[in-house]
Amino acid sequence: MGLQTTEKPFLERVEEAKKDKFMQGSVAKAQDAQLIKREDARAQLGHWQQWRELGEQIRKETVRYLPDYLEEFADNVEKQGGHVFFAKDDKEAAAFIRQVAVEKKAKNIVKSKSMVTAEIGLNKQLLSIPGVSLMETDLAEFILQEDDWDEPTHIVFPTLHKNRTQIQKIFQKLGYKGDNDPSTMAKFARKYLRNKFIHADLGITGCNFAIADNGMINLVTNEGNADLCMAIPKTQVVVMGMERIVPSLKEAETLDNMLSRSAVGQKLTSYCTFCGKKQDGESDGPDDFYVVIVDNGRSKALGTVFEPVLQCIRCGACLNVCPIYRHIGGHGYGSIYPGPIGAVLSPILDGYEKFGDLPFASSLCAACTETCPVKIPLHHLLIEHRRIMMDKIHTDHTFTNQIMKIIGVGTGSPFLFKSVLRFGHVGLNVLTTKKPANTVSGFLYQQGRVGKVNPPLPKLMLGWTDLRDLPNVSKKHQNFRSWFGKHTPVKAVAHPQPLK
Amino acid sequence: MKVTIFDTCVVDLFFPQVAEDMVEVLERFGCDCDVPTNQICCGQPTYNSGYEKESIKTIHNEIDTLLANGSDYIVGPAGSCVAMLHEYQFMLKDDPEYAEKAKELAAKSYEFSQFLYRVLGVVDAGAQLDTVATYHRSCHMTRLLGEAETPYILLKHVKGLDLKPLPHVEKCCGFGGMFSAKEPTLSQPMVDEKVDSIVSTGAQTLISCDPACLMNIGGRMNRRGIKMNVMHLANVLNHNVDPSRIKFVKDVDKAAI
Amino acid sequence: MEKLQMGKANREAFLNHLAQKSGRPRHQLKDHPFKPINDLPHTTLAGHSQDELLDIAEKNSTAVHVDFRTTTKDGLADVLNQYLDAKHTQNLLLPTTDQWQHFALANWFNDHQSSAMLWQPDATRAENLDRAEKADVAIGFADYLLAESGTITVATRPGQGRAFNFLPQHYLSIIPKSRIVARSTQAMDHYDADIKAGRLKTSNINFITGPSNSGDIEMVLVVGVHGPLDMTYVVVNDL
Repeated sequence: MGLQTTEKPFLERVEEAKKDKFMQGSVAKAQDAQLIKREDARAQLGHWQQWRELGEQIRKETVRYLPDYLEEFADNVEKQGGHVFFAKDDKEAAAFIRQVAVEKKAKNIVKSKSMVTAEIGLNKQLLSIPGVSLMETDLAEFILQEDDWDEPTHIVFPTLHKNRTQIQKIFQKLGYKGDNDPSTMAKFARKYLRNKFIHADLGITGCNFAIADNGMINLVTNEGNADLCMAIPKTQVVVMGMERIVPSLKEAETLDNMLSRSAVGQKLTSYCTFCGKKQDGESDGPDDFYVVIVDNGRSKALGTVFEPVLQCIRCGACLNVCPIYRHIGGHGYGSIYPGPIGAVLSPILDGYEKFGDLPFASSLCAACTETCPVKIPLHHLLIEHRRIMMDKIHTDHTFTNQIMKIIGVGTGSPFLFKSVLRFGHVGLNVLTTKKPANTVSGFLYQQGRVGKVNPPLPKLMLGWTDLRDLPNVSKKHQNFRSWFGKHTPVKAVAHPQPLK
Repeated sequence: MKVTIFDTCVVDLFFPQVAEDMVEVLERFGCDCDVPTNQICCGQPTYNSGYEKESIKTIHNEIDTLLANGSDYIVGPAGSCVAMLHEYQFMLKDDPEYAEKAKELAAKSYEFSQFLYRVLGVVDAGAQLDTVATYHRSCHMTRLLGEAETPYILLKHVKGLDLKPLPHVEKCCGFGGMFSAKEPTLSQPMVDEKVDSIVSTGAQTLISCDPACLMNIGGRMNRRGIKMNVMHLANVLNHNVDPSRIKFVKDVDKAAI
Repeated sequence: MEKLQMGKANREAFLNHLAQKSGRPRHQLKDHPFKPINDLPHTTLAGHSQDELLDIAEKNSTAVHVDFRTTTKDGLADVLNQYLDAKHTQNLLLPTTDQWQHFALANWFNDHQSSAMLWQPDATRAENLDRAEKADVAIGFADYLLAESGTITVATRPGQGRAFNFLPQHYLSIIPKSRIVARSTQAMDHYDADIKAGRLKTSNINFITGPSNSGDIEMVLVVGVHGPLDMTYVVVNDL
């Protein structure tokens, strides 16, 4: 799979997504349900803004001293007999894990949900080993796998775009004979996958947080499949983005509370597990324990204005509040990391050529920044991406670029702006075509309006008038400044008594 | 009290009635208003689009102009634009000439409803408007300026006004400055959902503190043939005013605010 | 393809690259240890008596679909027997532990030992996993009960392994009332201190909040996926 899920151009993806009414309905429903659950869970905790400050501090400091924390963690894993591999990119990470699978002669691999394994394109690598069976065991990932490796559409709810009947059809290919009741289908998946677990010899999991001072891995889940992936097979491979580390169990515990509330509105998810290599005397858990720490472009954020993106704990709350995500869903973004975090992260990981459209796919409403539990200034970082593309590398040589420069010049010079105030209405009035009467009353169209217009007008103007009527520019003698120059001040009824 | 009016480019270009009503309300409460004619725009359209260099000149001009008269306060009729004035201090923190000025500007600048309630202590502006209305909360005013209360307090005391809660009030209307023109295909479902939410309240009147959001939502409504009276809060608070109804924070019980 | 090597060279190249990118030298941490800016994890839900914590725990456990019961040491055996009957237990899985004595369950354990399967420290991986997979009911012991979230916590020990908590269909956990704590913070403080002091040797700590569940199909909550289908907590008054 890899980071990029499709090579279709952005607008084509958006148009496709907009046609998928079921997806839009289920995303909206999910967002609305999560809004209530999430805000309720945060309110019950109390002092949410101070919790955010603590969460931010934990993540900021671990990113600040990242090489030191990773070194401490690797030392502790190795002290317990585990192994650590540092992978500079996706290819190296996937190749190393393939190498482990081959060395261990693994035949039956079970995986629990992990975004980073999707990012490094791991499944394709493992399935290229002759005779290997590989099962995604998270219910949603299992459904995607059995649907010919469909792409996830959300980092927490990967199958948000599928309805129960589609899932029933997918399961029927595996011999399922029941109805489309989610509970019945989940029972079928339990039975089907239980058999895979029992015979598994290699387990692969992601990692919510790695614990630097004792070498443990923290996983936060609801179904129990991740725990079976690290209980049953003799070998376990943990794949983690290099930033997913915390100083000790205590900070992991703090963040688990914030992650559970932010991701799914639960106080804690069903399973918050802290684990490592099997110890003497224990009979299950991995004899061989590997941790693969992945850079894959993350280090490009270090030491730059984008460093806060590494604070992310992958809760998906920013997707759940995003009005753009609400309408185009995950597939519209073309990255396995969709939504606001994806729009910030994807261009860092793999460049503006592939993902340069994403930072512009935002109205900068800042709902993402407001909800982020670790205070990543997401909408600011979107502007930073735009700034780099526009000011520094000039990727946009279109007409819009020229217009923006003219606006920049126009709004930077009082003289030019006043010329617009004086003459602007002349230009627009010429364009005004015959149109039906206004249905909107109030101040909007007191000076008249511009309806739908045609080329060769500037693209920006078309973008506006394709959807909406535009108010006319005030004529000079009717604008505010001329009014102010001649108006008689209203009689004061009270003397101001400022409170501050 | 001297108040400099930050009239914003959108109001300047399109909506004189908004600024006029705002000035009259402020004058009613004893403010001595001035409108510096060299002000243009807060710089958001270009800055948010990534054109930083092109924006800096605009921003410098705006700071110089708004501070020139040495007024006690600077008041604007648009939450988003006022939020931008507050952002300057972070953008220009390394600007040797403008860093301090930007801080001074932020400390003096208020959005209209915020200024009425938080500075002047106005609870009831004395207005009357017989209508069923709903209020659109702008994202930048709420999240960047951090003001989610004052418009509701002032509207609550308008005589005859029946204010209906707006479903999905937290969702962006799809304006987003240049976004609305550059990305119409993304903006359209957003503004349509906002229009539908407003219609679902049964309101005859739509009120907001951000004229640009209203230009977007109202423009879409007009295109879709939906009947709606679109008003800025200043239009509402300057409507049918009876000075005897005016009340200040000090005149009312806390519970009644 | 050349074999990818772990080890010092692999690690150093990676970490030096990060230091170089960030513009910050390595090995600064010892002078800048992490100190939290506030104490919210401890002050949240602080100051409750053990009785109050029990009430809070019951409310929050029930909210996550847990069958929550309280009993005394004397009543515990009856509660367990009723539970086994209610679940129509065929294959019972029990841990190897000296906790039976602590809860005055030595006789109960002796009565059931012959018919039940034991997770045994000296059994192989395959043997213990096989027992856990066959079990329709497991009765185990928890270290702590978290009032705020209705969570039991269990550290893996040779007599009660990882899969013990996940493979059986129905799961009952016994918790002493004295071990109810306000939040995950207090439990984690204990574990962190016990591991660092060498009092606890474990490779795995489970914080378990109710039965396994999923919202992956149309966000409809399904209770019981890969882990236990239902959970019962029995709080025993040991105070």
